[in-house]
Amino acid sequence: MSDEAVREEDRQLVARAQAGDIEAFEALVEAHRDKVYGLALRMTRSEADAAEITQDTFLSAYQHLSEFRGDAAFGSWAYRIAANHALMRLRHRRVVEAAEEEIQGPAFTERGSLAEYPAQDWSRSAEGKVLDAELRRAIQEASDHLPEGYREVFLLKDVEGLSYEQIAEVTGDSVPAIKSRLHRARLALREAIDRFYNRGNEVG
Amino acid sequence: MYTCEDTINLLLDYLDGEMPLEEAKHLKEHLSGCAPCIDFLRTYRATPGLCRRALAEKMPQEVSTKLMEFLRTRIKSAS
Repeated sequence: MSDEAVREEDRQLVARAQAGDIEAFEALVEAHRDKVYGLALRMTRSEADAAEITQDTFLSAYQHLSEFRGDAAFGSWAYRIAANHALMRLRHRRVVEAAEEEIQGPAFTERGSLAEYPAQDWSRSAEGKVLDAELRRAIQEASDHLPEGYREVFLLKDVEGLSYEQIAEVTGDSVPAIKSRLHRARLALREAIDRFYNRGNEVG
Repeated sequence: MYTCEDTINLLLDYLDGEMPLEEAKHLKEHLSGCAPCIDFLRTYRATPGLCRRALAEKMPQEVSTKLMEFLRTRIKSAS
């Protein structure tokens, strides 16, 4: 189904659910639960938290259904609620906030040239249908190792597909700050993938 | 003339298409003469999609069964 068709179906389901049709609401839950759960699991890295966040998200979506206007997609509305819940949990967990470490980007020479050339352009081979299990693990590890503030922004933007404005709304950070952290996070992940593709060809 | 460092610092804005024309021109000029930066740009651009695939998750069956039970009880008790 096209995105537009999905949105149209959601719109109809929302209208029926707003009129008290519980089955229509359940159909909405079914259509979006994987994405909501995935978001919560990636953000919190805890299956128990992710299950609870999913419950809280859909319950609060149901309770606020009458306030939901058709101008946004139900999905992105639900993901925003989920992102809020997940961030609240993360903030709560981080009672003693560790100083955020900086992410190192690529190395440059004094003249500002790339010090190490990528040994190969893997952007094409990355389009293959099946993702190598080792590459998957390397990416998961690299994402787990990102400093928390970077990881949040990267997940919300690049994995969950929220807009900069939506992320600013849920995190309370400015859009320029979000962009700068997203860029550093992408550099770190690119580096990890690059290491995977170039393992074995030690350069210099 | 932009260096590799300038170029890479600006990649996010460039790919978002949110860059003043003048800056984008300097950046393209650098790219046209710098193969390493072109490879860097391509791999940087491929990174989010790869990560999205690597981090995909599906809700386990028992979790979705519990979710539905939870919502049914809560919705019923509210109405």
